[in-house]
Amino acid sequence: MIKSLLATTALLASATMSFAGDLTSMSWDDIVAQAKEEGEVTWYVWYLRDDFRRAVQAFEEEYGISVTIPEGTAAGNSEKMLAERDRETGDIDVLAWGTDGFATVDLAPLFSSLSVLPEDDGRVVELAGFDGGDHVVAFWGNQTGIAYDPAHVSADNLPQTPDEFAAFWAENPGKFGFNYEKGGSGPSFYQNTLRVVADIDFSNGEVTDERLAAIQPGIDFFNEHAENYVVTASNADSIIRASDGELWMVPAWEDHLAGLQNRGEVREEIKFYIPEMGMNGGGNGVAIPLNAPNPAAAAVFVNWLTSPETQSMFNKDFGTAPMNTAADDSFALVPNEQRAFRQVWGAQPFRGEVEASFIDNVILER
Amino acid sequence: MKLRRGLLIIGLLTPGLGLILALIGTVVYIAVSQSFGYYSLNGTNEFSTEFWSKMAGRKAFKRSIQYSIYIGVFSAIFSVALAYPLAIWLRKPFAGSNFIGAVLKAPLLVHGLVAAFLFINVISYHGILNQFMQWLGIWSEPRRLQNDPNAYGVLILQTWKNMPFALLLLTGAVQSISDDVLDAARDLGAGTWDRFRRIIAPLTVSGMQAAMVIIFIGAVADFSFQVIAGPTNKQSLSQLMVSFKGRGDWHSAAVVGVSLMMIALVGSAILAVVARMVMRGRIK
Repeated sequence: MIKSLLATTALLASATMSFAGDLTSMSWDDIVAQAKEEGEVTWYVWYLRDDFRRAVQAFEEEYGISVTIPEGTAAGNSEKMLAERDRETGDIDVLAWGTDGFATVDLAPLFSSLSVLPEDDGRVVELAGFDGGDHVVAFWGNQTGIAYDPAHVSADNLPQTPDEFAAFWAENPGKFGFNYEKGGSGPSFYQNTLRVVADIDFSNGEVTDERLAAIQPGIDFFNEHAENYVVTASNADSIIRASDGELWMVPAWEDHLAGLQNRGEVREEIKFYIPEMGMNGGGNGVAIPLNAPNPAAAAVFVNWLTSPETQSMFNKDFGTAPMNTAADDSFALVPNEQRAFRQVWGAQPFRGEVEASFIDNVILER
Repeated sequence: MKLRRGLLIIGLLTPGLGLILALIGTVVYIAVSQSFGYYSLNGTNEFSTEFWSKMAGRKAFKRSIQYSIYIGVFSAIFSVALAYPLAIWLRKPFAGSNFIGAVLKAPLLVHGLVAAFLFINVISYHGILNQFMQWLGIWSEPRRLQNDPNAYGVLILQTWKNMPFALLLLTGAVQSISDDVLDAARDLGAGTWDRFRRIIAPLTVSGMQAAMVIIFIGAVADFSFQVIAGPTNKQSLSQLMVSFKGRGDWHSAAVVGVSLMMIALVGSAILAVVARMVMRGRIK
């Protein structure tokens, strides 16, 4: 009895494995049929989970495949993926991660090829200096910029350069705030300011004493004006305090702000722009781990997630920059011409060293 | 016979001691190993003291140690200092004393995160406190009280949260002192302060030590109060550890974690010894 049970289990396991390996040789219709048989997909995404649970209902209705979105953080999800990479069958069907996160790992040994997806030239695999190749496709475009209160700051006179920001701080002390941790909007602001003031090339990830010493003019710039700006606790803290009227200008994420405004948690009057000095933009991608328990359902889900229709819906509901060129982007918070000011996140490990130096020499000196 | 007895003792201890050793031991082992380069999640596993030496040279690390000790020590002192008079007041039951005791212990039921958010709501720029002070005419405009640089907000929250715990321990200790002892002291001419200094303090020193040590360990490792209500120009050790972990630098996070454990261990021992000496009148 035990022998036959073991034999059956082994047979089922080998059938599952051979099926997962065979996905590349199946037609898309066969993959969809197999996905419906699998009947479920688990999507690890670390933000807006409640909103995504509502958004994926369209997918569930269309395919009859239920989507589970577990609770978890970006770091927790990616660490789980790495920790269980040697398991025969993991828990993650689809992993969402920032493109800068994906850039820290070797993709091929961890993720399935997405060449099984139907042809779609509109999908985005190269974003913000990251190339997902066959393994990662972007599903969420985001952009940092400055949120401002038009009741106090004129849209015709928005600061565009570090010197203009310094002038704003001097004229309006304590009305500009940014975070240095718990969210990337503040770091995007101070890193781009450092880039412009100290003329640093952040695309080069090499760390040398000379390169780190070269950021000193930028550090001096922040220390000279330290009395005139506020350091906030997080992305959310910045926006809430701007909405509350305490602060007039704060760095923010375009999609974060749009989501909060859509839910009525932040005043609709708060506006957003990308300064000419540039602020970082990027996005998040999705990938299917090699040991995904439902690989066909995962592929169908990724195809749906990156389709023009879903990307148009994300633009409307979340204010994201669409990650399919055929999608409608008319609901974005900024006009397209401002997207020319988008900068790429700095390359590691140099960026991490600059962050550490900024904390030591600016934040802890306050 | 001795072997059987030994096995019996080990068997009886295993459910409690074994679990503690297994759980704490593995965590400590992994943290220490990671701080020396092992158990790398996304890199090579090899012995290295680089993470310790690099961390020792970082300003943020030194500042975090000073700040966490400051929060730990003052939270423990303030909590115990507030709890003592209340414990003495509630020593003998009176009408309503149970109700007062229950209200004083209510913060134990409120999670720290909830308390921190409530506190932020109260002291925020357009919060109740600012509105009240302006209504009274004391302040002409709102004041920025959130994330104050001296961490008074964190100390208030820590004291609010931990004082009931100290009260719980000290009430039991104070109630165990017999009336005869205190009456005898009074008959011999001891005033209120002398009765506290010479009778109550020495007889409740164990409870006070336990309260100080447990509150110190919790406060020195504070994360939730710090990230919400703490100063933005300082980082607690827990906050620093989490920030390293967030960047995927588990080895540096482990160095901070092991340091935190050592500070909790050594700091609580020092605090317990000093508190005992003070309460027994050896340091005046």
